Amino acid sequence: MKNTIDAKYYDGQSSAPLKAIVVLNDRTNEFHLQIAGEISFVWLLKDLQFEQYGHILEVRNTNYSDAILKIDDKYFSEKFYAAMKQNNSIDIHTRLLNLGLSKITAIAVCLLGLIVLAYFYVLPPIAEKTAALLPESFDNEIGNLFMDAFLRKNNIDTTKTKYLEQFAAELDLKNRNPLRFTVVKSKEVNAFALPNGQIVVFSAILENMESFEELVALLGHEASHVNYRHSIKMLCRNLAGYMTVSLIFSDVNGVMALLADNAQRLHSLSYSRGFEQEADEQGLEILMNNKVDPNGMVKLFEQLEKESNIYIPKIISSHPLTKERKDNMHKIISETVYEIKSNDKLNSIFEYIKN
Amino acid sequence: MENLMTQNTNQKKNYDFEFFGKGSEYFAIMIVNWLLTLVTLGLYYPWARAKRLRYVYGQTALNNERFHFAGTGKEMFRGFIKIILFYIAVMISYMVLLKVVKLPLLAILFLYLAFFAIIPFAIHGSFRYRMSRTSYRGIRFGYRGNRNEIVKKFFKWVFFTIITFGIYSAWLQMNIRKYTHQNIRYGDVEFSNNANGGDWLLLNLKGYFLTIITLGIYSFWWQSEIFAYYIDNMRMTKGEQRIKCSSTATGGGFFELLIVNFLITAFTLGFGKAWADMRTQKFIFDNVKMEGDINIDEIHQTEDEYTNAFGEDAMDFFEIDLA
Repeated sequence: MKNTIDAKYYDGQSSAPLKAIVVLNDRTNEFHLQIAGEISFVWLLKDLQFEQYGHILEVRNTNYSDAILKIDDKYFSEKFYAAMKQNNSIDIHTRLLNLGLSKITAIAVCLLGLIVLAYFYVLPPIAEKTAALLPESFDNEIGNLFMDAFLRKNNIDTTKTKYLEQFAAELDLKNRNPLRFTVVKSKEVNAFALPNGQIVVFSAILENMESFEELVALLGHEASHVNYRHSIKMLCRNLAGYMTVSLIFSDVNGVMALLADNAQRLHSLSYSRGFEQEADEQGLEILMNNKVDPNGMVKLFEQLEKESNIYIPKIISSHPLTKERKDNMHKIISETVYEIKSNDKLNSIFEYIKN
Repeated sequence: MENLMTQNTNQKKNYDFEFFGKGSEYFAIMIVNWLLTLVTLGLYYPWARAKRLRYVYGQTALNNERFHFAGTGKEMFRGFIKIILFYIAVMISYMVLLKVVKLPLLAILFLYLAFFAIIPFAIHGSFRYRMSRTSYRGIRFGYRGNRNEIVKKFFKWVFFTIITFGIYSAWLQMNIRKYTHQNIRYGDVEFSNNANGGDWLLLNLKGYFLTIITLGIYSFWWQSEIFAYYIDNMRMTKGEQRIKCSSTATGGGFFELLIVNFLITAFTLGFGKAWADMRTQKFIFDNVKMEGDINIDEIHQTEDEYTNAFGEDAMDFFEIDLA
């Protein structure tokens, strides 16, 4: 029986190597050691920890953690590993490692695949559910926070704000909660809606408009963002996305993390396109419900498109693919029966806003 | 007779460093770490770190005997929890100052000070833990620095750095290095370091300007000078016996190492980093030469056991690199 082997032993007191004879008894799960032909003692397999370097086996006893038993024998090394395995003394990490690189990689690729699937198909509905659970006071808090910061850097146009409020009061924007309207002085062609119902319109976008229908379209679009809580859904979606990404890349290097980060950002952009489409369609419905010409939405897009030749305004950059959106509007308009009523009041308020 | 003895013990010894780590093995460890970290929602991280360190240490050999990292995930996990608690405590105090006491400036000042003040504690704890868990031939390393001493010194040096508009930072760095290194023990072998801020400042000024003049090419030679400065200043003594370290790395060597590492990492979208890391380790140990007469068969255990991983995790948490 070749369970007896010559080994090297460091006693944990001195760095001098000592000669040892080791007998592995795999029935009693014991190591019998004889050191330097004199001292004999027994190590129990359950107390042992080991490192394998090729054939070389380094064994340590958790009760005398400094002592090292070093054995260089392929056969013994395998025998020892089998005995330790039988004894359940091998941790999950070592077990996985011993599957070999190709199997480990295969497991990793499968798991990654599952996560990617979950990221695209499981995460969005969960994020929406989470958003639904958040109270509306949260929307208000977030909106107020943002608005406070925004107003520190921008000036309100009080006259135009008053007219815009009157204009909006003439419309049914299908809102469940009160909306607030503010015009700020800015050369930027932009408008946005905050989750607290605050709709901010930049003065430059108003100057470019030719008809009141466009303004109704703009308000309809922004009001729909509020009605459908797009910002909060987006926030939940992004948070969940970032959590997934940081979980996956917690122990991997920077390059991959950067790639993943960008992929996540792109994905959230396409997600926001989904929201834009919803806001377009709901905005269009608001136009029709208010008996305003739905082509106002198309005209609004055209205005914004023209503007983008000069410089890219934010409303377009975050709302890309204008042509696609326009085609979508045309399609819905042609398929729907709608009624248009001339509206002198809206028109006259619009004139005030323009001037 | 006495003459013979001295001659005998003063004989030059051979010290031969080798690094056996293989990219494929290291990569396998990283993948398993990743798998386990993922399925435990990140909780496995300290254990993963222990596995990684254990591999790197175990693949480093001096005269054919390997180093050993005895740190465990459990120890590092405890340290990690302490760090989180520290972080939470700081954040709560910050919020109280900001929202209740309503002193925003003081709150921000407090935040900076708190994270700044942890640095010397982290350095101390990190050295203490890392050294105590490192062993070679069953003999432990140890760190005997005094925490209060390094904290006081650290703030003194930081103060000098501020009043000299940053110039003193060269001394700050080298003083910390000197203080920590001279408190390292390997059994009854004592470490020391001869680095000084003036040399370090000149070395870096020269490296900086030559790198600009040569459009970056000199950076590899600068890197090799930094490496040489780190290594050449290391000494070990045991009674009358000593070891002097020196670097054999060249600028060309660094050029090859870093360019190839960059290509490996970039062309594999980062997956090749395991191989690049192993090349770096091998390069380091291939280029450290030790000369002297300490007999490494005659070292005696002197250091106590120590298992607090607070500093280790603090360094990792705030991503401070221990060079």
